[in-house]
Amino acid sequence: MIEVRQLTKKFNEKPVLKAVDLDILDNETLVILGPSGQGKTVFIKSLVRLVEPDSGIIKYDGVDVLSLPKRKLVDVKKKIAFVFQDNALFDFLNVKENLALYLRMHSKLSEEEIDNEVRRALEFVRLNEEVFDKYPEELSGGMMKRVAIARAMIQQPCYMFYDEPTTGLDEANVEMVVELIHKFKKNVCATAVIVTHDIHLMSAVSDRVVLLKEGRIVFVGKKEEVSEESLHDLYGTGVKDEL
Amino acid sequence: MCTKVVLENIGGRTINFFAAIYEAWQLVIDTLKALPHIWFYRRQVTEQIYVFLVKTLPIATVISVFVGLGAMIQGTYQSSALIPRTYVINVIFKSTILELCPIILSLVLAGKLGASLAAELGSMKISEQVEALETMSLDPVGFLIMPRILAGMIMLPIITIFANFLAMFSVFFIASVATDWISPKEFLSGMQMNYRAFEFYFGNLIKPAVNGFFIAVAGSYFGMKTHGGALGVGRAATNAVVVAAILIVFFDYYLARILL
Repeated sequence: MIEVRQLTKKFNEKPVLKAVDLDILDNETLVILGPSGQGKTVFIKSLVRLVEPDSGIIKYDGVDVLSLPKRKLVDVKKKIAFVFQDNALFDFLNVKENLALYLRMHSKLSEEEIDNEVRRALEFVRLNEEVFDKYPEELSGGMMKRVAIARAMIQQPCYMFYDEPTTGLDEANVEMVVELIHKFKKNVCATAVIVTHDIHLMSAVSDRVVLLKEGRIVFVGKKEEVSEESLHDLYGTGVKDEL
Repeated sequence: MCTKVVLENIGGRTINFFAAIYEAWQLVIDTLKALPHIWFYRRQVTEQIYVFLVKTLPIATVISVFVGLGAMIQGTYQSSALIPRTYVINVIFKSTILELCPIILSLVLAGKLGASLAAELGSMKISEQVEALETMSLDPVGFLIMPRILAGMIMLPIITIFANFLAMFSVFFIASVATDWISPKEFLSGMQMNYRAFEFYFGNLIKPAVNGFFIAVAGSYFGMKTHGGALGVGRAATNAVVVAAILIVFFDYYLARILL
Protein backbone atom coordinates (compact mmCIF):
# COMPACT_ATOMS: atom_id res chain seq x y z
CA MET A 1 0.00 0.00 0.00
CA ILE A 2 1.16 3.52 -0.74
CA GLU A 3 0.11 6.25 1.69
CA VAL A 4 0.43 9.89 0.70
CA ARG A 5 -0.04 12.60 3.29
CA GLN A 6 -0.01 16.38 2.90
CA LEU A 7 2.16 16.25 -0.19
CA THR A 8 3.07 19.70 -1.48
CA LYS A 9 5.26 20.93 -4.30
CA LYS A 10 5.95 24.40 -5.65
CA PHE A 11 7.79 25.44 -8.80
CA ASN A 12 9.06 29.05 -8.67
CA GLU A 13 6.65 29.86 -5.84
CA LYS A 14 3.75 28.49 -7.89
CA PRO A 15 2.03 25.69 -5.97
CA VAL A 16 1.57 22.60 -8.15
CA LEU A 17 0.55 20.10 -5.46
CA LYS A 18 -1.47 21.38 -2.51
CA ALA A 19 -1.51 19.09 0.54
CA VAL A 20 -2.47 15.95 -1.34
CA ASP A 21 -3.73 13.01 0.77
CA LEU A 22 -4.28 9.64 -0.89
CA ASP A 23 -4.12 5.91 -0.16
CA ILE A 24 -3.24 3.60 -3.04
CA LEU A 25 -4.43 0.15 -2.08
CA ASP A 26 -2.72 -3.13 -2.92
CA ASN A 27 -3.95 -4.86 -6.06
CA GLU A 28 -5.89 -1.87 -7.34
CA THR A 29 -5.53 0.10 -10.55
CA LEU A 30 -5.84 3.72 -9.63
CA VAL A 31 -6.34 6.21 -12.42
CA ILE A 32 -5.51 9.86 -11.85
CA LEU A 33 -7.51 11.85 -14.34
CA GLY A 34 -7.54 15.48 -15.33
CA PRO A 35 -6.64 17.83 -18.16
CA SER A 36 -3.11 19.20 -18.62
CA GLY A 37 -1.62 21.47 -15.97
CA GLN A 38 -3.41 20.02 -12.94
CA GLY A 39 -0.27 18.47 -11.40
CA LYS A 40 -0.85 14.83 -12.42
CA THR A 41 2.64 14.14 -13.73
CA VAL A 42 4.30 16.02 -10.87
CA PHE A 43 2.25 13.91 -8.47
CA ILE A 44 3.12 10.55 -10.03
CA LYS A 45 6.80 11.56 -10.33
CA SER A 46 6.79 12.67 -6.69
CA LEU A 47 5.53 9.21 -5.73
CA VAL A 48 8.72 7.67 -7.14
CA ARG A 49 10.93 10.59 -6.07
CA LEU A 50 11.78 11.70 -9.57
CA VAL A 51 10.49 15.03 -8.33
CA GLU A 52 11.40 15.97 -4.77
CA PRO A 53 8.30 17.22 -2.94
CA ASP A 54 8.64 20.25 -0.66
CA SER A 55 6.87 18.53 2.21
CA GLY A 56 4.65 15.60 3.07
CA ILE A 57 4.89 11.88 3.62
CA ILE A 58 4.96 9.04 1.09
CA LYS A 59 4.97 5.56 2.60
CA TYR A 60 5.46 2.31 0.69
CA ASP A 61 4.27 -0.57 2.90
CA GLY A 62 4.84 1.66 5.93
CA VAL A 63 8.31 2.91 4.91
CA ASP A 64 8.55 6.69 4.47
CA VAL A 65 10.55 7.11 1.28
CA LEU A 66 10.99 10.87 1.64
CA SER A 67 13.05 10.47 4.80
CA LEU A 68 15.14 7.61 3.38
CA PRO A 69 18.71 8.37 2.28
CA LYS A 70 19.34 7.71 -1.42
CA ARG A 71 21.36 4.58 -0.65
CA LYS A 72 18.41 2.93 1.11
CA LEU A 73 15.93 4.22 -1.45
CA VAL A 74 17.37 1.73 -3.94
CA ASP A 75 15.59 -1.15 -2.18
CA VAL A 76 12.23 0.61 -2.50
CA LYS A 77 12.92 1.64 -6.10
CA LYS A 78 13.54 -1.98 -7.04
CA LYS A 79 9.83 -2.57 -6.30
CA ILE A 80 8.83 0.13 -8.77
CA ALA A 81 8.58 0.32 -12.54
CA PHE A 82 7.63 3.42 -14.50
CA VAL A 83 6.40 3.74 -18.07
CA PHE A 84 7.09 7.27 -19.26
CA GLN A 85 4.86 9.32 -21.53
CA ASP A 86 7.55 9.37 -24.25
CA ASN A 87 8.76 5.89 -23.29
CA ALA A 88 12.29 7.07 -22.36
CA LEU A 89 13.96 4.13 -24.08
CA PHE A 90 17.73 4.52 -24.10
CA ASP A 91 18.46 5.67 -27.62
CA PHE A 92 22.10 4.50 -27.48
CA LEU A 93 21.00 0.91 -26.85
CA ASN A 94 19.07 -1.44 -29.11
CA VAL A 95 15.85 -3.10 -27.95
CA LYS A 96 17.59 -6.15 -26.56
CA GLU A 97 20.11 -4.07 -24.62
CA ASN A 98 17.37 -1.75 -23.37
CA LEU A 99 15.60 -4.72 -21.85
CA ALA A 100 18.73 -6.51 -20.69
CA LEU A 101 20.22 -3.47 -18.93
CA TYR A 102 18.29 -3.92 -15.67
CA LEU A 103 19.16 -7.60 -15.44
CA ARG A 104 22.82 -6.98 -16.28
CA MET A 105 23.09 -4.38 -13.55
CA HIS A 106 20.98 -6.00 -10.84
CA SER A 107 21.07 -9.75 -11.33
CA LYS A 108 23.66 -12.48 -11.56
CA LEU A 109 22.01 -14.13 -14.55
CA SER A 110 24.19 -15.46 -17.34
CA GLU A 111 23.98 -13.90 -20.81
CA GLU A 112 21.91 -16.86 -21.97
CA GLU A 113 19.44 -16.48 -19.11
CA ILE A 114 19.22 -12.74 -19.75
CA ASP A 115 18.55 -13.49 -23.40
CA ASN A 116 15.70 -15.80 -22.42
CA GLU A 117 14.21 -13.22 -20.07
CA VAL A 118 14.33 -10.58 -22.80
CA ARG A 119 12.61 -12.93 -25.26
CA ARG A 120 9.95 -13.72 -22.65
CA ALA A 121 9.30 -10.02 -22.04
CA LEU A 122 9.04 -9.30 -25.76
CA GLU A 123 6.65 -12.19 -26.24
CA PHE A 124 4.59 -10.80 -23.38
CA VAL A 125 4.07 -7.55 -25.29
CA ARG A 126 3.63 -9.46 -28.57
CA LEU A 127 6.84 -8.40 -30.24
CA ASN A 128 9.03 -10.88 -32.04
CA GLU A 129 12.78 -11.24 -32.40
CA GLU A 130 12.85 -8.95 -35.42
CA VAL A 131 12.99 -5.95 -33.12
CA PHE A 132 15.91 -7.36 -31.08
CA ASP A 133 18.61 -5.39 -32.85
CA LYS A 134 16.57 -2.33 -33.69
CA TYR A 135 17.21 1.01 -32.04
CA PRO A 136 14.31 3.01 -30.57
CA GLU A 137 14.38 5.49 -33.47
CA GLU A 138 13.60 2.61 -35.85
CA LEU A 139 10.40 1.65 -34.00
CA SER A 140 6.87 2.98 -34.39
CA GLY A 141 5.13 4.73 -31.47
CA GLY A 142 3.11 1.62 -30.59
CA MET A 143 6.18 -0.61 -30.69
CA MET A 144 8.12 1.78 -28.49
CA LYS A 145 5.31 1.72 -25.95
CA ARG A 146 5.34 -2.06 -25.97
CA VAL A 147 9.12 -2.16 -25.48
CA ALA A 148 8.73 0.31 -22.58
CA ILE A 149 6.15 -2.00 -20.98
CA ALA A 150 8.41 -5.01 -21.62
CA ARG A 151 11.27 -3.16 -19.92
CA ALA A 152 9.03 -2.57 -16.93
CA MET A 153 8.06 -6.24 -16.91
CA ILE A 154 11.73 -7.27 -16.74
CA GLN A 155 11.95 -5.42 -13.43
CA GLN A 156 9.17 -7.59 -11.90
CA PRO A 157 7.84 -4.64 -9.90
CA CYS A 158 5.37 -4.58 -7.02
CA TYR A 159 4.12 -1.13 -8.05
CA MET A 160 3.59 -0.04 -11.61
CA PHE A 161 3.34 3.58 -12.71
CA TYR A 162 2.15 4.73 -16.13
CA ASP A 163 2.42 8.36 -17.20
CA GLU A 164 -0.06 9.09 -20.01
CA PRO A 165 0.36 5.64 -21.60
CA THR A 166 -1.99 6.28 -24.53
CA THR A 167 -0.91 9.80 -25.51
CA GLY A 168 0.01 10.07 -29.17
CA LEU A 169 -1.16 6.55 -30.05
CA ASP A 170 -3.77 5.63 -32.64
CA GLU A 171 -6.93 3.72 -31.70
CA ALA A 172 -5.49 0.27 -32.40
CA ASN A 173 -2.45 0.96 -30.23
CA VAL A 174 -4.62 2.42 -27.46
CA GLU A 175 -6.53 -0.88 -27.40
CA MET A 176 -3.23 -2.73 -27.32
CA VAL A 177 -2.05 -0.65 -24.33
CA VAL A 178 -5.34 -1.30 -22.52
CA GLU A 179 -4.92 -5.02 -23.12
CA LEU A 180 -1.30 -4.94 -21.91
CA ILE A 181 -2.25 -3.05 -18.75
CA HIS A 182 -4.80 -5.80 -17.97
CA LYS A 183 -2.30 -8.52 -18.78
CA PHE A 184 0.38 -6.84 -16.67
CA LYS A 185 -2.02 -6.62 -13.74
CA LYS A 186 -2.95 -10.28 -14.05
CA ASN A 187 0.54 -11.72 -14.59
CA VAL A 188 3.15 -9.35 -13.20
CA CYS A 189 2.06 -6.59 -10.85
CA ALA A 190 -1.44 -6.03 -9.53
CA THR A 191 -0.97 -2.52 -8.16
CA ALA A 192 -0.86 0.23 -10.75
CA VAL A 193 -1.12 4.00 -10.81
CA ILE A 194 -2.02 5.52 -14.15
CA VAL A 195 -1.99 9.21 -14.97
CA THR A 196 -4.07 10.08 -17.99
CA HIS A 197 -6.48 12.50 -19.57
CA ASP A 198 -8.02 9.68 -21.63
CA ILE A 199 -11.53 8.88 -20.35
CA HIS A 200 -11.66 5.75 -22.47
CA LEU A 201 -8.53 4.39 -20.79
CA MET A 202 -9.91 5.34 -17.37
CA SER A 203 -13.15 3.45 -17.94
CA ALA A 204 -11.32 0.45 -19.43
CA VAL A 205 -8.76 -0.18 -16.69
CA SER A 206 -9.52 1.65 -13.45
CA ASP A 207 -10.69 0.23 -10.14
CA ARG A 208 -10.73 3.69 -8.59
CA VAL A 209 -10.48 7.17 -10.04
CA VAL A 210 -8.88 10.30 -8.61
CA LEU A 211 -9.59 13.70 -10.11
CA LEU A 212 -6.94 16.37 -9.67
CA LYS A 213 -7.74 20.02 -10.10
CA GLU A 214 -5.10 22.71 -9.67
CA GLY A 215 -2.98 20.46 -7.47
CA ARG A 216 -5.80 19.29 -5.19
CA ILE A 217 -7.69 16.03 -5.14
CA VAL A 218 -11.32 16.91 -5.75
CA PHE A 219 -12.73 13.43 -6.19
CA VAL A 220 -11.90 9.86 -5.24
CA GLY A 221 -14.34 7.15 -6.18
CA LYS A 222 -15.59 4.54 -8.62
CA LYS A 223 -15.33 5.06 -12.36
CA GLU A 224 -19.09 4.72 -12.67
CA GLU A 225 -19.40 7.99 -10.75
CA VAL A 226 -17.32 9.83 -13.35
CA SER A 227 -19.06 10.95 -16.52
CA GLU A 228 -18.04 13.29 -19.32
CA GLU A 229 -20.64 15.78 -18.11
CA SER A 230 -19.32 15.77 -14.54
CA LEU A 231 -15.80 16.27 -15.84
CA HIS A 232 -16.86 19.19 -17.99
CA ASP A 233 -18.72 20.67 -15.04
CA LEU A 234 -15.58 20.33 -12.93
CA TYR A 235 -12.95 21.52 -15.38
CA GLY A 236 -15.08 23.79 -17.55
CA THR A 237 -16.07 23.47 -21.17
CA GLY A 238 -12.63 24.61 -22.30
CA VAL A 239 -11.22 21.15 -21.65
CA LYS A 240 -13.91 19.35 -23.62
CA ASP A 241 -11.53 18.38 -26.41
CA GLU A 242 -8.76 17.39 -24.07
CA LEU A 243 -10.68 14.84 -22.01
CA MET B 1 15.61 52.88 -12.75
CA CYS B 2 18.11 51.87 -15.43
CA THR B 3 20.92 51.56 -12.85
CA LYS B 4 18.70 49.37 -10.68
CA VAL B 5 18.00 47.02 -13.58
CA VAL B 6 21.71 46.83 -14.46
CA LEU B 7 22.67 46.14 -10.84
CA GLU B 8 19.95 43.50 -10.52
CA ASN B 9 21.20 41.92 -13.71
CA ILE B 10 24.79 41.87 -12.46
CA GLY B 11 23.66 40.54 -9.07
CA GLY B 12 21.58 37.80 -10.68
CA ARG B 13 24.42 36.72 -12.95
CA THR B 14 26.89 36.68 -10.05
CA ILE B 15 24.58 34.50 -7.99
CA ASN B 16 24.04 32.16 -10.96
CA PHE B 17 27.80 31.98 -11.53
CA PHE B 18 28.54 30.91 -7.95
CA ALA B 19 25.53 28.58 -7.90
CA ALA B 20 26.89 26.91 -11.06
CA ILE B 21 30.33 26.49 -9.47
CA TYR B 22 28.71 24.94 -6.41
CA GLU B 23 26.60 22.58 -8.53
CA ALA B 24 29.58 21.53 -10.67
CA TRP B 25 31.56 20.91 -7.48
CA GLN B 26 28.67 18.83 -6.15
CA LEU B 27 28.74 16.82 -9.37
CA VAL B 28 32.44 16.11 -8.85
CA ILE B 29 31.76 15.04 -5.24
CA ASP B 30 28.94 12.74 -6.43
CA THR B 31 31.31 11.30 -9.01
CA LEU B 32 33.89 10.60 -6.30
CA LYS B 33 31.15 8.92 -4.24
CA ALA B 34 30.30 6.75 -7.24
CA LEU B 35 33.95 5.69 -7.69
CA PRO B 36 33.80 2.81 -5.17
CA HIS B 37 31.06 1.30 -7.39
CA ILE B 38 33.34 1.30 -10.43
CA TRP B 39 33.12 -2.51 -10.73
CA PHE B 40 29.33 -2.25 -10.91
CA TYR B 41 29.62 0.26 -13.76
CA ARG B 42 32.66 -1.42 -15.41
CA ARG B 43 30.81 -1.99 -18.68
CA GLN B 44 30.01 1.74 -19.00
CA VAL B 45 33.60 2.73 -18.15
CA THR B 46 35.00 0.38 -20.80
CA GLU B 47 32.48 1.64 -23.37
CA GLN B 48 33.36 5.26 -22.70
CA ILE B 49 37.10 4.58 -22.92
CA TYR B 50 36.49 2.95 -26.29
CA VAL B 51 34.25 5.83 -27.45
CA PHE B 52 36.86 8.41 -26.41
CA LEU B 53 39.55 6.50 -28.29
CA VAL B 54 37.54 6.08 -31.48
CA LYS B 55 36.31 9.66 -31.47
CA THR B 56 39.69 11.24 -30.84
CA LEU B 57 42.29 9.16 -32.61
CA PRO B 58 41.76 10.39 -36.21
CA ILE B 59 41.60 14.06 -35.23
CA ALA B 60 44.59 13.67 -32.86
CA THR B 61 46.61 12.16 -35.71
CA VAL B 62 45.95 15.04 -38.09
CA ILE B 63 46.51 17.71 -35.44
CA SER B 64 49.74 16.26 -34.07
CA VAL B 65 51.35 15.82 -37.47
CA PHE B 66 50.65 19.43 -38.43
CA VAL B 67 51.55 20.80 -35.00
CA GLY B 68 54.92 19.10 -35.39
CA LEU B 69 55.41 20.44 -38.90
CA GLY B 70 54.33 23.94 -37.87
CA ALA B 71 56.71 23.91 -34.90
CA MET B 72 59.53 22.77 -37.16
CA ILE B 73 58.94 25.57 -39.69
CA GLN B 74 58.65 28.21 -36.97
CA GLY B 75 61.67 26.90 -35.07
CA THR B 76 63.95 26.95 -38.08
CA TYR B 77 62.59 30.26 -39.35
CA GLN B 78 62.97 32.09 -36.01
CA SER B 79 66.44 30.77 -35.18
CA SER B 80 69.54 32.42 -36.57
CA ALA B 81 72.32 30.51 -38.27
CA LEU B 82 74.52 31.09 -35.19
CA ILE B 83 72.35 28.84 -33.00
CA PRO B 84 73.37 25.17 -33.18
CA ARG B 85 70.65 23.05 -34.76
CA THR B 86 70.60 20.64 -31.83
CA TYR B 87 69.46 23.61 -29.69
CA VAL B 88 66.69 24.41 -32.16
CA ILE B 89 65.49 20.80 -32.05
CA ASN B 90 65.60 20.96 -28.26
CA VAL B 91 63.37 24.07 -28.24
CA ILE B 92 60.97 22.48 -30.75
CA PHE B 93 60.85 19.25 -28.74
CA LYS B 94 60.17 20.91 -25.40
CA SER B 95 57.69 23.45 -26.69
CA THR B 96 55.81 20.71 -28.54
CA ILE B 97 55.50 18.16 -25.74
CA LEU B 98 55.06 20.67 -22.93
CA GLU B 99 52.76 23.18 -24.53
CA LEU B 100 51.77 22.99 -28.17
CA CYS B 101 50.51 19.45 -28.52
CA PRO B 102 48.75 19.14 -25.13
CA ILE B 103 46.94 22.47 -25.33
CA ILE B 104 45.99 22.46 -29.01
CA LEU B 105 44.80 18.88 -28.75
CA SER B 106 42.88 19.61 -25.56
CA LEU B 107 41.20 22.67 -27.06
CA VAL B 108 40.15 20.79 -30.17
CA LEU B 109 38.89 17.86 -28.10
CA ALA B 110 37.03 20.28 -25.83
CA GLY B 111 35.11 21.26 -28.97
CA LYS B 112 34.60 17.73 -30.19
CA LEU B 113 34.12 15.72 -27.00
CA GLY B 114 32.76 18.46 -24.74
CA ALA B 115 30.02 19.38 -27.21
CA SER B 116 29.06 15.79 -28.01
CA LEU B 117 29.05 14.89 -24.33
CA ALA B 118 26.80 17.81 -23.40
CA ALA B 119 24.47 17.19 -26.34
CA GLU B 120 24.28 13.46 -25.61
CA LEU B 121 23.49 13.91 -21.92
CA GLY B 122 21.26 16.91 -22.66
CA SER B 123 19.05 14.99 -25.05
CA MET B 124 18.91 12.11 -22.56
CA LYS B 125 17.83 14.58 -19.91
CA ILE B 126 15.02 16.16 -21.92
CA SER B 127 13.72 12.81 -23.17
CA GLU B 128 13.44 11.49 -19.58
CA GLN B 129 16.12 8.82 -20.12
CA VAL B 130 18.01 10.05 -17.06
CA GLU B 131 14.83 9.68 -15.00
CA ALA B 132 14.33 6.21 -16.49
CA LEU B 133 17.73 5.24 -15.10
CA GLU B 134 16.64 6.38 -11.65
CA THR B 135 13.47 4.29 -11.81
CA MET B 136 15.68 1.31 -12.64
CA SER B 137 17.63 1.89 -9.41
CA LEU B 138 20.67 3.08 -11.34
CA ASP B 139 22.57 6.16 -10.26
CA PRO B 140 22.78 8.55 -13.25
CA VAL B 141 26.09 9.91 -11.94
CA GLY B 142 27.57 6.43 -11.62
CA PHE B 143 26.10 5.22 -14.90
CA LEU B 144 26.63 8.27 -17.11
CA ILE B 145 29.05 10.74 -15.60
CA MET B 146 31.68 8.82 -13.66
CA PRO B 147 32.56 6.65 -16.70
CA ARG B 148 32.88 9.74 -18.91
CA ILE B 149 35.08 11.63 -16.45
CA LEU B 150 37.28 8.57 -15.91
CA ALA B 151 37.51 7.98 -19.66
CA GLY B 152 38.50 11.63 -20.16
CA MET B 153 41.19 11.47 -17.49
CA ILE B 154 42.58 8.16 -18.73
CA MET B 155 42.33 8.63 -22.47
CA LEU B 156 43.53 12.21 -22.89
CA PRO B 157 47.02 11.39 -21.53
CA ILE B 158 47.22 8.28 -23.73
CA ILE B 159 46.16 10.24 -26.80
CA THR B 160 48.55 13.06 -25.92
CA ILE B 161 51.47 10.61 -25.67
CA PHE B 162 50.50 9.28 -29.08
CA ALA B 163 50.12 12.83 -30.46
CA ASN B 164 53.47 13.99 -29.03
CA PHE B 165 55.20 11.00 -30.49
CA LEU B 166 53.60 11.61 -33.88
CA ALA B 167 54.42 15.34 -33.78
CA MET B 168 58.08 14.69 -33.04
CA PHE B 169 58.19 11.97 -35.65
CA SER B 170 56.89 14.40 -38.26
CA VAL B 171 59.55 16.92 -37.18
CA PHE B 172 62.18 14.20 -37.48
CA PHE B 173 60.89 13.15 -40.87
CA ILE B 174 61.07 16.67 -42.31
CA ALA B 175 64.31 17.68 -40.57
CA SER B 176 66.34 14.50 -40.97
CA VAL B 177 64.80 12.30 -43.63
CA ALA B 178 63.23 14.62 -46.20
CA THR B 179 65.61 17.58 -46.05
CA ASP B 180 68.83 16.57 -44.27
CA TRP B 181 68.58 19.77 -42.25
CA ILE B 182 69.99 17.85 -39.26
CA SER B 183 71.43 14.37 -38.94
CA PRO B 184 69.41 11.75 -37.01
CA LYS B 185 72.18 11.55 -34.40
CA GLU B 186 72.13 15.32 -33.79
CA PHE B 187 68.33 15.24 -33.76
CA LEU B 188 68.39 12.64 -30.98
CA SER B 189 71.01 14.50 -28.97
CA GLY B 190 68.93 17.69 -29.34
CA MET B 191 65.95 15.90 -27.83
CA GLN B 192 68.04 14.47 -24.98
CA MET B 193 69.65 17.81 -24.14
CA ASN B 194 68.71 19.03 -20.67
CA TYR B 195 66.10 16.27 -20.48
CA ARG B 196 64.06 16.08 -17.28
CA ALA B 197 61.74 13.15 -16.71
CA PHE B 198 59.24 15.34 -14.89
CA GLU B 199 58.69 17.41 -18.03
CA PHE B 200 57.63 14.25 -19.79
CA TYR B 201 55.14 13.43 -17.03
CA PHE B 202 53.91 17.02 -16.95
CA GLY B 203 53.27 17.36 -20.68
CA ASN B 204 52.05 13.85 -21.33
CA LEU B 205 50.24 12.83 -18.17
CA ILE B 206 49.43 15.59 -15.68
CA LYS B 207 48.28 18.32 -18.03
CA PRO B 208 46.19 16.11 -20.33
CA ALA B 209 44.58 14.34 -17.36
CA VAL B 210 43.55 17.70 -15.88
CA ASN B 211 42.28 18.87 -19.29
CA GLY B 212 40.37 15.61 -19.79
CA PHE B 213 38.79 16.13 -16.39
CA PHE B 214 37.66 19.67 -17.31
CA ILE B 215 36.27 18.59 -20.69
CA ALA B 216 34.27 15.74 -19.15
CA VAL B 217 33.05 17.73 -16.14
CA ALA B 218 31.96 20.73 -18.24
CA GLY B 219 30.20 18.47 -20.78
CA SER B 220 28.51 16.44 -18.05
CA TYR B 221 27.48 19.43 -15.98
CA PHE B 222 25.91 21.39 -18.83
CA GLY B 223 24.39 18.21 -20.26
CA MET B 224 22.69 17.33 -16.99
CA LYS B 225 21.46 20.92 -16.56
CA THR B 226 19.80 20.95 -19.99
CA HIS B 227 16.23 22.11 -20.27
CA GLY B 228 14.10 23.60 -22.99
CA GLY B 229 14.24 21.16 -25.91
CA ALA B 230 16.56 21.35 -28.90
CA LEU B 231 17.46 24.95 -28.13
CA GLY B 232 18.54 23.88 -24.64
CA VAL B 233 20.70 21.08 -26.04
CA GLY B 234 22.45 23.53 -28.37
CA ARG B 235 23.01 25.96 -25.50
CA ALA B 236 24.40 23.19 -23.29
CA ALA B 237 26.85 22.10 -26.01
CA THR B 238 28.06 25.66 -26.60
CA ASN B 239 28.47 26.38 -22.88
CA ALA B 240 30.36 23.13 -22.35
CA VAL B 241 32.89 23.99 -25.06
CA VAL B 242 33.38 27.59 -23.94
CA VAL B 243 33.78 26.74 -20.25
CA ALA B 244 36.08 23.78 -20.92
CA ALA B 245 38.27 25.92 -23.21
CA ILE B 246 38.52 28.71 -20.61
CA LEU B 247 39.40 26.23 -17.85
CA ILE B 248 42.03 24.58 -20.05
CA VAL B 249 43.91 27.80 -20.87
CA PHE B 250 43.51 29.13 -17.31
CA PHE B 251 44.95 26.02 -15.70
CA ASP B 252 47.54 25.65 -18.44
CA TYR B 253 49.17 28.76 -17.05
CA TYR B 254 48.69 27.94 -13.36
CA LEU B 255 49.81 24.31 -13.62
CA ALA B 256 53.01 25.44 -15.37
CA ARG B 257 53.63 28.08 -12.72
CA ILE B 258 53.05 25.69 -9.86
CA LEU B 259 54.67 22.52 -11.15
CA LEU B 260 57.55 23.59 -13.42
